[in-house]
Amino acid sequence: MKKLLALLLSGILLLSCVGFAAAEDNKTLTVVTWDATTTPYLIAQKEAYEASHPGVTIEYVDVASQDYAIKTTTMLSGGDKSDVFMVKELDDIIKWQAQGFAEPLNAYVEKTGYDLSGFVGTEKNYCVEDELYAVPFRSDFWVLYYNKDLFDAAGVAYPTNDMTWDEYADLAIKLTGDGNYGTHYHTWLSAVVNWTVADGVNTLADRNYDDLLYFYQLYQKLEDAGACMAYSELKAAGLHYSAAFANGNIAMLPMGYWYVSTLINYNKEGTCNFNWGIAAVPHAEGVKAGSSFGNLTGAMINAKSENKDLAWDYISWLGGEEGAAATASVGARPAYVSEKVAAAMSSVEGFPTDETSKGALIPAFVGMEWPVAEKVADIKTIVNEEHSMIMAREISPEEGIQEMNERVAELFE
Amino acid sequence: MTAKSPSGPRLKASRLERKNTLIAYSFLAPNFLGFAIFTLLPVLFAIALSLFEWNGGDISRLKFVGLQNYAVIFNTKKVAQNGLEYFFNRVDLGIALKNTVFYTAVTVPLTILSALALAMLLNKIKGAVAFRTIFFFPYVASMVAICVCWSFMLMKDGPINQFLMALGSTFNKSWTADSGMAIWSIILVSVWRNMGYYMVIYLAALQGVPRELLEAATVDGAGKWKQFLHVTLPQLRPTTFFVSIMMIISCFKIYDVVAIMTDGGPGRSTKMLVTYIYEEAFTKVRYGQASAISMILLVIVLVITVIQFRSEKKFSND
Repeated sequence: MKKLLALLLSGILLLSCVGFAAAEDNKTLTVVTWDATTTPYLIAQKEAYEASHPGVTIEYVDVASQDYAIKTTTMLSGGDKSDVFMVKELDDIIKWQAQGFAEPLNAYVEKTGYDLSGFVGTEKNYCVEDELYAVPFRSDFWVLYYNKDLFDAAGVAYPTNDMTWDEYADLAIKLTGDGNYGTHYHTWLSAVVNWTVADGVNTLADRNYDDLLYFYQLYQKLEDAGACMAYSELKAAGLHYSAAFANGNIAMLPMGYWYVSTLINYNKEGTCNFNWGIAAVPHAEGVKAGSSFGNLTGAMINAKSENKDLAWDYISWLGGEEGAAATASVGARPAYVSEKVAAAMSSVEGFPTDETSKGALIPAFVGMEWPVAEKVADIKTIVNEEHSMIMAREISPEEGIQEMNERVAELFE
Repeated sequence: MTAKSPSGPRLKASRLERKNTLIAYSFLAPNFLGFAIFTLLPVLFAIALSLFEWNGGDISRLKFVGLQNYAVIFNTKKVAQNGLEYFFNRVDLGIALKNTVFYTAVTVPLTILSALALAMLLNKIKGAVAFRTIFFFPYVASMVAICVCWSFMLMKDGPINQFLMALGSTFNKSWTADSGMAIWSIILVSVWRNMGYYMVIYLAALQGVPRELLEAATVDGAGKWKQFLHVTLPQLRPTTFFVSIMMIISCFKIYDVVAIMTDGGPGRSTKMLVTYIYEEAFTKVRYGQASAISMILLVIVLVITVIQFRSEKKFSND
């Protein structure tokens, strides 16, 4: 009897380990993304797609934004069967392609005669050896946000779409005082020095970081003048740029285009109630005005998905003109470029109506924040580590840059 | 061949024995199964993985590389050229080892001292229960909350810097943003959090100190301090040993405080073995190298554990 009981108990345990997969409804498409409940364009895309495709339900799998790359890669390694994965960083898709998680898309493009011209070449960033692995649906580049009320109060003219970094620094210092900061740098590497890639020549993986010196010195000059909050305080307090700018005492903020939809919402909800505008980010001497850097966001089909055709229908819709219109309708910038989309972007309720802001919608050049390159994950770690040392003033910019050069060179020895 | 074949009753007994053994095993099975699936197999897999290159895709992408992962994390080529100083100052693994050992070497004695001091203070005073609860509280409080609160207290104009400045210190920077002080902020939080837990262990041990010994010492004219030094402390030796071994092991596995407070920074000044493993495995998706680093951690912890097992036997034989 005891034996039987023991057998039974171990049997139950074994069974419970196996588990049962729930039966799937094949009209539901699972899409892995981040901040699904708070990101306006995700909500708009879901509504628009479900409205035009009766019987299909989009189900978002929400992953914490800051751990997105890590968590999704772990999910995919574990054999997750979610149909679509959104691609947050460029090197994610390269990684996933190498690991065999991403479904090759050229066959689908041919089969459905999908038109890629609207992506104006950006889709090439998702190609490995001419095979497409993801469809871009958002293309964010960095712009300069400014608080019109603070400029008005100081009697200073608004930033223009053609301004050098030195002019910007003078402007920031002029607007500092009375508890106001002229500008704000978020703690990211990108917010401080990524501007160097706007010339179309430099990249952050080119193994030479001497070109960052100018931007570190510019930052330290502004920090010394009290024109921006100190890095070490921001880091220790974990202050988010969106809350900082919404506070109303920061005159300018270089930040990605995605912040437009957040600001529009803040204005609606009353989280902040000042007038704001956007301008093109400043440019270095000799670099064309309106040049910036940015990032692509896309969607790929999981090679293990059981609804690949439906998944293709969804991601091709998402990247195409209809999806782009849905994305633009809440103030986000789609990757697909057309007259219709541009009109939709500037006509969003709450978007600034001045000509400068409208002009800033069309950048002259957008470099990639991080290029696709050999050992880019290692380079990222090294550059970020030295960045934190320079920003915390543990070492001088010159020393930090020398460290970057030496340590990155060692990777390739 | 002199042994007789087992007679009737002997056979019966052995059958009963076997039956009993089986029943015992079946009771152990559920626990062992869980251990095997969630601990033993992953550990064995990690040992094997440290000899492979794997980026986390299908298992078919495993590529045997022998000891190359170890050569890479030790950066043997460069270290052979430039010596050990290079290893501890430039190579990620060397820096992580140095930081972890430093953290452990400071945290363990500090925690033991403060836990023992608290236990002595709270052993027989009025309201001890309330104080014990207060000092134990950090141990049950949420780690994230603790770390965030301490980060604020250790900020540039935070209360701790204000206090130190009033005492004449010239340090005026957030602790977590200073490459020298960042590791101390982690030590401080760890000691503060853990001392309540070890205090409880010491309090229990103090109850086991024979009163006769203390009385005898009093009769011989020993003051409080001498009693503590020559009676209480030696009596607590097994406890102190146990506590220090447990602490050394948990210190080598430090991750949470670092991840929340400094994320290994500034630069590499608070990079620990486990944060390094995490970085290699999950941000750079190099499971082979991450496993190789884990093996180094495993060896360190294993050595300490063996020492503990050996000495435990010695203490119990005493």
